[in-house]
Amino acid sequence: MMLVLRRLALASVLLLLPALVQAQATGRLTGLIIDGDGAVPISGARVEVVGTTLRATSVVDGRYTFNAIPAGTIDIRVVRIGYAPKTVTGVVITAGGVTEQDVTLAGQAVQLDEITVTASVETGSVNSALDEQRNSVGIVNAISSEQIAKSPDGDAAAAVQRVSGATVQDGKYVFVRGLGDRYTTASLNGARIPSPEPEKKVVPLDLFPSSLLSGITTSKTFTPDQPGDFSGASVNIKTRDFPGRGFRALSLSTGYNTASTGTDGFFGPTASRDWLALGSDARTVPGLLAGTDFGGQITPEQNNLLVQSMRNVWTPTARSGSPNGSAGISLGGTIPTGSSRLGYVLSGTYSYSQEIRADQQRALAATIGSGEGTPIDQFSGTTGITSVLWGGIANLSTTLGSHTKVSLNNTYNRTMDNEGRRETGASENLAIPLLIQRTKYVERNIYSSQLELHHELGAGRLGVDWGATVSGVNRREPDRSEIVYSLESGTPRWFGFSNEAAVRTFGDLDENSLEGHVDLMLALGDPAAGRRLRFGGLMRRTERTALNRTYSVSLARPLPGDADAMAPEALFADYADAGDDYFRVVPLAAGGSYAAEDNLAAGYAMLATPLSRRFDLVAGARLERSSVAVASLSTAGEPSLANPTFTDVLPSLALTYRANENLNIRASATQTLSRPEYRELSPILYREVIGFDNIKGNADLQRALIQNYDLRLEYYPRRGEILSVALFAKQFDNPIERIYQGTSGTRIITYVNALGANNYGVELEARKQLDFLSEGLRTLALFANATFMESSIDIDASQGSVTNANRRMVGQAPYVINAGLTWTHPTSDASATVLFNRVGERINEAGELPLPDVVVQPRNVLDLSLRLPVFNTLSARVDARNLLDAKYLTTQGAVTRESYRTGRVFTVGFSWSQ
Amino acid sequence: MHLGLGTLARTSLLAAAVLTSACNSDATAPNPEPSNPAPAGLTATANGTTAIDLAWTAPTTAVTQFVLQRAEGAAGAFAEINRPAAGATSYADAGLTPNTLYRYRLAAVRNGATSSFSSEASATTADDQGGGGGGNEVLVTTDITTNTQWTADKVYRIVGFRKVANGATLNIQAGTRIIGDYETTGSSLFVLRGARINAVGNAGAPIVFTSSQPVGQRLAGDWGGLIIIGNGVINRSGVVNIEGTGTSADNPLLPYSGGDNNFDNSGRLSYVRVEYAGFGPAPDAELNTFTFAAVGGQTVLDHLQAHNGLDDSYEFFGGAADLKYAVSTEAGDDHFDMSEGYQGRIQYFVAFQSKLVAIRPLAGNVASDPQGIENDGCNGSGCDAGQNSTPFTIPVVANGTIVLTGPGVVGGSGGYGMVLRRGTGGHYVNIVIAKGASNGIGYRDATSKLREDAGLLSLKGIYIAETPNAFQSGQQTYAGPASDVTHAAATTAASIFAGYNANPASMADINLFPAAGSPIATGGFTGWSGDLLSRGAGLDQTTYRGAFAPGGTDWTAGWTEYSDN
Repeated sequence: MMLVLRRLALASVLLLLPALVQAQATGRLTGLIIDGDGAVPISGARVEVVGTTLRATSVVDGRYTFNAIPAGTIDIRVVRIGYAPKTVTGVVITAGGVTEQDVTLAGQAVQLDEITVTASVETGSVNSALDEQRNSVGIVNAISSEQIAKSPDGDAAAAVQRVSGATVQDGKYVFVRGLGDRYTTASLNGARIPSPEPEKKVVPLDLFPSSLLSGITTSKTFTPDQPGDFSGASVNIKTRDFPGRGFRALSLSTGYNTASTGTDGFFGPTASRDWLALGSDARTVPGLLAGTDFGGQITPEQNNLLVQSMRNVWTPTARSGSPNGSAGISLGGTIPTGSSRLGYVLSGTYSYSQEIRADQQRALAATIGSGEGTPIDQFSGTTGITSVLWGGIANLSTTLGSHTKVSLNNTYNRTMDNEGRRETGASENLAIPLLIQRTKYVERNIYSSQLELHHELGAGRLGVDWGATVSGVNRREPDRSEIVYSLESGTPRWFGFSNEAAVRTFGDLDENSLEGHVDLMLALGDPAAGRRLRFGGLMRRTERTALNRTYSVSLARPLPGDADAMAPEALFADYADAGDDYFRVVPLAAGGSYAAEDNLAAGYAMLATPLSRRFDLVAGARLERSSVAVASLSTAGEPSLANPTFTDVLPSLALTYRANENLNIRASATQTLSRPEYRELSPILYREVIGFDNIKGNADLQRALIQNYDLRLEYYPRRGEILSVALFAKQFDNPIERIYQGTSGTRIITYVNALGANNYGVELEARKQLDFLSEGLRTLALFANATFMESSIDIDASQGSVTNANRRMVGQAPYVINAGLTWTHPTSDASATVLFNRVGERINEAGELPLPDVVVQPRNVLDLSLRLPVFNTLSARVDARNLLDAKYLTTQGAVTRESYRTGRVFTVGFSWSQ
Repeated sequence: MHLGLGTLARTSLLAAAVLTSACNSDATAPNPEPSNPAPAGLTATANGTTAIDLAWTAPTTAVTQFVLQRAEGAAGAFAEINRPAAGATSYADAGLTPNTLYRYRLAAVRNGATSSFSSEASATTADDQGGGGGGNEVLVTTDITTNTQWTADKVYRIVGFRKVANGATLNIQAGTRIIGDYETTGSSLFVLRGARINAVGNAGAPIVFTSSQPVGQRLAGDWGGLIIIGNGVINRSGVVNIEGTGTSADNPLLPYSGGDNNFDNSGRLSYVRVEYAGFGPAPDAELNTFTFAAVGGQTVLDHLQAHNGLDDSYEFFGGAADLKYAVSTEAGDDHFDMSEGYQGRIQYFVAFQSKLVAIRPLAGNVASDPQGIENDGCNGSGCDAGQNSTPFTIPVVANGTIVLTGPGVVGGSGGYGMVLRRGTGGHYVNIVIAKGASNGIGYRDATSKLREDAGLLSLKGIYIAETPNAFQSGQQTYAGPASDVTHAAATTAASIFAGYNANPASMADINLFPAAGSPIATGGFTGWSGDLLSRGAGLDQTTYRGAFAPGGTDWTAGWTEYSDN
């Protein structure tokens, strides 16, 4: 299923430009005819220029083209059997120019009356996005590239947080309707994205620069033609498709962060090619270290060589932050190839940013004087993060004959986050003050290459889509270092007798996926009746390997004199010489390595049929068989294999009642599932790479089944406006929940099937032009969405959990509010948008009894964006992000577990396009 | 199904190198010729119980290969075992029988002709006394669920995480040797709630739990340890499991919480030595040499030695079991650790540390804060009133001699004689601390001070020698009279003990009796009263300080043992 929304904000720019003085008296008109019900292209639609004899017919990819239309303002009318005819007025044709005008058609069963809209309304991609919402079978929230362009959102994660009910954790992971990241799936152009996260299979959406996107749809209702392993939402990120006319665009921006630009901080030490996010090569695990068999005795000389083999870099670099910057380049167009045309879009983007987390505080909570939490291990300090994100797309598309469209979409993105952290505080266990310095470098890249074919046969009676996607992701976290100095004597001295005083970690994760699908659409009876049968299948194979190595350098005997007061680089340089016997190198854990293989086969059938003039029914079911094998090694090297197979039938029923043109009522009941993530199935205890907790999987985990019920009332007062109320309720059987198990020493985190859980709430969405208040406010549009929800989970006491057994689900906020106000210049492309976001307090981590749960506190986020046309082809943007600079605050009862600020970011940018 | 396990194995830190040696059995007849001299300088050196290392001098004239032959015993026949390549000057012969004489000889092959053999070299593989019991060995590969008797004529090899369960009693005869299987990592013996162990040795025939590795190759963490779970009371609510369990299917979580009987009886351990234990089945989750989890007061524990364990020597979680005559020599973490409401009494004990223990590779790591005694009130999940959760940890700890390493050997926050923290109480009486790394006593947390204020914590007759500070600075201030804690920073361990040795080779080198005229021979606190008297009923109120009475009998004699490996 490839939802295609062929839109480029850039394309619309030209429409509003003053006519250029040109010799030619005609212009070109092209565009797509799209079925709003599922947003698939429609071939065979006839497009007429009203009042002339000019005619064109859309081909298999939905595109129609007029090569020469006299310049001026025209109306076009689109007619296709089975759809309501539609007239678009006010289409501007410039002499020598190319005008792009897409038209969305609604099924005739739904909409019998002919529709007339003006070109500017039909063009606006907000409207297209709303059309997609309006015409979809289930509940869908769409964000268009235009909306993203009007926000300061630099990546897909930032854009998704504008969706009703969505919250974004750590700037990466999407929670929808308060359901944890395990209940949200992500796809790129319809194909599942592999995950670069070692502990999870979630996809961090910050990997996708927003400038490469044409839109993001968030489906909250399961239909049988999509994978059923979600409950919160299935997020589909769509990359840009080629436009009807050629374009070239260039953009540049620079930014100022009030907390980091020009401010002194501690950043991760740099290595060569960091700026390209290719710095992991310079930080790779030393061959000697990786090749040493620590199962034997290691001589002092070997230990010295091991110490020398490590990069002698332990300390974050003190320097002041530099400005942020980004650049992008895009070009697209069509190349005539004989009887057909080859459409292409090439786009690349690069961005560089720095962040300083000043006033950073962290602590743990412990029960001391009473069962209430008291802070211990309080550390304060600063973190400096340098980030690079770059990527590109190369998408090609053409038609073969009159019935086949072929497209090839290629995406590659790469990120780098280089972090330095310096903090001081006291350890409760050791009862001494410590200075801890950490450096951490994480590099991720993702590629996807997708070949899709669409055939249309039998005059629209049969549509076939099939395709294959190869994708892969890898994450390198090479050479993370942590060095601890004791401040007990006043002078910092290396705490070298501890095996946690100098630690190096090397983590690698690779995941590759191959996916193929076939989807068929068969019109039953008269195509005009709108009765369609869809069926198809999907196969996906995913392989993952995750390797983790951690080594500690500690003292075998005391260093001479005051050597332990030296800086770490000097200390390791001076005391690991031949003949020295101070250091010993030991591996701390090998249990972080595993391999997983996941084979999914799915088939479905669904029927979409009008029941009456006003009722539409979509019913069907999907069969999914998932076979997962996870092989892991314990710290001691014992292998373990878990390989469950889950086969499930997932029914779905959706009913739409179209009370009138402006009012839809939808109801749906579906069943979806949530399978254990790979690592959760490994029964071996291992040390978490990121959280330093001991984690143990559970080979007996069952997949959870979720019954989802949705009821939604939508009112579309006008094109581009919506008021809606949605109720949702979910019932979970055997939901997988992360719990703690108490031990006489370090606690264990594990995963169990809880007895059950439920989640329910209401979603409100409004988008309204303010001219109903006063005609003078016609240029202002207000939009808001708010979700209020509640959940509870019930954990079986016999599972030995020491977390609260009855509480809200982890990650669920009681409310999520997004609001914004947009001003658009009536004639030019100038606009201003203010965006507000607030997420209610949510459990980040269940508390270890009697401690309360760990809660992320709400923060108000206010962003401002201005878009100013400067010149014909040049426009400017000014963005202000995080204007309130509210504190990030995580608490556990009265204890501040973590707090920091990231600063306000002001960005100025220019883009040129032609 | 390819799972990338190969990749894992390659990167596994334990990936064992597999020694493969081609074995050519067709013997080549020697063909002596003056131009083809026999190799010279063959030597054979035993390398443990099953290997012998061979070396020889490189010949002066080039050879194409060598022919190596071996014979077993003094009269066995020679047979070829390998053809080392030209240029080789050594060979490692493996897979041999322990305690057996092997003879070797070597010939050279030049231009297809084989030289005469070298003179013989021989070596005897090491005795396997620490390891397998030969024909007497009993493999313990399943749990013990019915009453069982182990006898001294056998050696019992514990394979995996074995449990005495289902209410069964395991009786072990004096002199019996039990070995924890080295190959099955973490092999250990658990006595579960409701089951009992009766391991009663005597000074001449102690019961020994040790590593299956041969003597000379044993290391801390070779195996797991001895864990007893009783039905006593702890001060944590909810389910609490033994640390180091829950790591694999053979080692499921074992809870010890929820007990209600501090008079419970888990049996008797008497004259029992547990050595080279402490394997960590998970990172930072090593097993203790002796774990007494919620063990009740009817259990009898006396004459126990923990030696060279990777984690704590003795750890008590709640319960009320008494311990008398306990020795702890060389530990990777604390010698004695009491917490979670432990209310037993410990009298006459030794904690001796001279170095960092040598660890079995990958078994775990020594702690950064190893102490002589480390007592906690309540810590972790289920401390519903925080460190004030009840029952409080209030042991009576009397007549101990704690000798540590002095500064610069153990972790920067370790090497304390005693650390009292997190709301612990307890009465610490007539204890000698020598060679603390920096502080004799770390008296931490206002909650522990509350116990002192309530008369539930006292320090009486404490003598601290050769240690920079009596108390860690910046912590709680002990309010008792100055006479309670004597700090003699300049008085050396060597001067107060009859035979202090910083590098002992055997128990004979550790003589912690008071030296003639030693201040510890006197000064014992005998005016027990109040909570100390009521809790310490039945204990001896000695006039001396430390574990040994001046001129008294050496209660460690005969059944204890000290060796590095």
